Amino acid sequence: MFKYIVKRILIAIPLLLGMSLLTFVLMQVTPGNFFDTLKLDPQVSPETIAHYERLYNLDKPLFQQYFHWLKNLVHLDFGYSFHYNAPVSKIISSRLFNTFILSLSSMLVAWLVAIPLGIIMAVNRNRFIDKFLSFLSFVSLSVPGFFLAILLLYFASKVGGLPLGGMQSVNFDQMNFFEKAIDIARHLVIPTIVISIGSVAGLQRIMRGNLLEVLRKQYILAARAKGLPENRVIYKHALRNAINPLITILGYHLSGLLSGAALIEIIFSWPGLGTVMLTAVRAKDLYLVMASMLMGGVLLFLGNLLADIMLMWVDPRIRYD
Amino acid sequence: MKRNNRNILNFKDTAKKLLILLVVFLCVDHLSFAQETTFDKHGGQLVFTATSDPRSFNPIIAKESSSSGVVGYLFEGLTKIDGITLEVLPSLAKSWEISRDGLTWIFHLRDDVLWSDGVPFSADDVVFTFNDLIYNDAIPSSARDIFTIDGKIFKVEKVDAHTVKFVLPIRFAPFLRSMATGIMPKHALKSSVDDRTFNFKWGIDTPVSEIVGTGPYLLELYQPGQRIILRANPLYWEKSDQGERLPFIDRIVFLIVQNQDVSLLKFLEGETDSCRVRGTDYALLKPLEKEKNFTVYDLGSESGNSFIVFNQNPRLNPKTGKPFVDPVKLSWFQNLEFRKAVAHVIDKKRIVEITMNNLGYPQYGTMNPNSGLFYNPNVIKYEYDLKKAKQILNSAGFIDRDGDGILEDKEGNVVEFNFFTNSNGAERIQIASIVRHDLEELGMRVNFLVLEFNNLVAKLIANYEWDAILIGLTGGIEPHFGKNVWVSDGQLHFWNPGQEKPATKWEARIDEIFSAAVQELDDKKRKPLYDEWQMIVSQELPVIYTVLGAGVSAVRNKFGNLKPSLHGGVFHNLEEIYVKEEYR
Repeated sequence: MFKYIVKRILIAIPLLLGMSLLTFVLMQVTPGNFFDTLKLDPQVSPETIAHYERLYNLDKPLFQQYFHWLKNLVHLDFGYSFHYNAPVSKIISSRLFNTFILSLSSMLVAWLVAIPLGIIMAVNRNRFIDKFLSFLSFVSLSVPGFFLAILLLYFASKVGGLPLGGMQSVNFDQMNFFEKAIDIARHLVIPTIVISIGSVAGLQRIMRGNLLEVLRKQYILAARAKGLPENRVIYKHALRNAINPLITILGYHLSGLLSGAALIEIIFSWPGLGTVMLTAVRAKDLYLVMASMLMGGVLLFLGNLLADIMLMWVDPRIRYD
Repeated sequence: MKRNNRNILNFKDTAKKLLILLVVFLCVDHLSFAQETTFDKHGGQLVFTATSDPRSFNPIIAKESSSSGVVGYLFEGLTKIDGITLEVLPSLAKSWEISRDGLTWIFHLRDDVLWSDGVPFSADDVVFTFNDLIYNDAIPSSARDIFTIDGKIFKVEKVDAHTVKFVLPIRFAPFLRSMATGIMPKHALKSSVDDRTFNFKWGIDTPVSEIVGTGPYLLELYQPGQRIILRANPLYWEKSDQGERLPFIDRIVFLIVQNQDVSLLKFLEGETDSCRVRGTDYALLKPLEKEKNFTVYDLGSESGNSFIVFNQNPRLNPKTGKPFVDPVKLSWFQNLEFRKAVAHVIDKKRIVEITMNNLGYPQYGTMNPNSGLFYNPNVIKYEYDLKKAKQILNSAGFIDRDGDGILEDKEGNVVEFNFFTNSNGAERIQIASIVRHDLEELGMRVNFLVLEFNNLVAKLIANYEWDAILIGLTGGIEPHFGKNVWVSDGQLHFWNPGQEKPATKWEARIDEIFSAAVQELDDKKRKPLYDEWQMIVSQELPVIYTVLGAGVSAVRNKFGNLKPSLHGGVFHNLEEIYVKEEYR
């Protein structure tokens, strides 16, 4: 087990290096750099732009720049953001928590709603409740997230009571701890619904399919024939076998915890990482993009690793050594 | 408690005055007096929305030529510009003198100004800002470009603690206006210049209390992606005409809302006090004015514009040896009649109707109407006239010879070219597609492509491979700052940049105008020169203008002393605006 984890980590290093090199080259071979906006300002001279490019090493050959970045990375220096005039690590850390609580709350809601719904659907296969929930899940799968977001915003503005976008109220700084927590929770409601609704639909369908598949297996028949109560058959024997593929998906979801849902964040003005990263890519803010890519890569790797370990724990048949 | 106290004091004060007044004029209506007597205007807050995060709190290294909203409240220049008349007014300098030759300027600074940390402001700060920051080779700053003329810099000297002398290499007309550049505190920044960390000083990751300014407001809080809070600077020097302490409003909040729709909803909900109104919002907001207690101010045209340029660059690409522009196309683009026809076929009214819901203005000249002084309203106006445009093209030899609906030139080449615009901003793409449609009406085959901004810039100023482009620049009130676009050796002289010698007579004349006008210190004598330049541009059409958006804002009815103006917007006199008592 320990050997397996070490092996995985060792494999991940060249993978991440390759990924970072690819991103770096892709960012650099596309035309222009961050300072192009300045080039169209009649009041800024080419000398000034050259000066900026020198300051951030953009005038050096590509690979020299890359190795410079890599060298700093070893010292945990992620570089400097051109757009925000601040170290990349500070930009990311100032928003990490915001993205994290939004992703976490939507993930919790999605899984806590989807798994029971999937079980209910499978157990009541082809009955009204199954068909009704299937219908709902198809609808929510096909409505685009941004559209739902705007719809809910409009709804909330008509009904009132829930804040429209943002994460904190204007007078947040005057609140005590308890009021602050409630304030953020109130702001979380609508974005959480929008983000989780899509995954609920997908997850419950996977859960339903898996469980149905397992319920058809002979050992379930055997368990039922043996006279076990139905609850025990489903929760003890069927569910544990049906949940395997979902754990792999959970791994992917974990990796997405910090990448943020840019579109939803923009619509709700949520101060998360998604918006920052989108701006960074569009503005060609090189080192911010590199850092976000690296973070995404590391999280994907960790998520997968975690999923594999959990699989081992849930299903004793799986062995990696 | 504090506010209560003030109210009681104030009440006593007002009551006393009222009593005296009552005794003197026994039978006069109290109400009219209640307004004239000075009541306490301090207190309350103003909530704005900002569409993006600030990029730096350091105006010297902020990579924009205009200081963004927030920074403008923290620092002040020697002069400032009146939001209504556009005149230059004293600010940190209380007066100035100019030598007979116009090269030496002496500024007398105010001696009652304190930095927000209590240190007195003096001539050292001015000298430091110029000599150690703006003219420092180790600090990249776009401010340096403003204060460098033909490669020469200004000589800035301290005369005494409250007098500064500027010696200019040539007479420089925009000088006074550009002296509105924010002055920075020497005592707080000197050490960072010495240890070469200034380039990373006062970024958005700096604790807000470290930032020291002389402006009416101080930074109180910055929450990335959420809000910026400014608090009134208790040491601010300026007093109102009645001698009251300025600014009146205690707190200014900027809610960072990336999405214009959310900003609108927040305004309607009463969370914010002001909101930009887009064409599509106007119909929604206007009827709600009374019910929701706000006013919609239509201030006239905004300064951002969109124009069409045809590539007239006759040179060869040194890398490939081929011309930048296909010689056939070049001959069309260099043909004034061709450009005139295009100008006549741009349906500005329809663009305003479709893209801006009628909240916009056609643009004809290079200066915007809101730029005041130097705006020339008498330039040639090319109105939409499809028939006339076709006639112009036909007589210039562009005729549809084979009856396929597409024009051919005299040599029988099909009139077909690429037309690019940039992908940021839905409005510009909409304008471009209408322009494309108009050009196709005329019988041209237009290959329209929306490019990523960086890609477009690369084409415009580096590899010069384009035919026609729709792009925009933000205009200002000072024509000279657009010099790089208009003089023939300018890098942003889009249609034929970096010429060694002016390619045409009219370009030579524009070169003359710009170098003459910058040396003419009398605005009245400068105006005819810039009027002529605008006239030439409208005659020769190197750029073809489309439309200007309207600057419309909705503001809640809770403020006093609002003086909305075309140039400055609703809140240009922010430090004098107060929150009415019932809304504090």
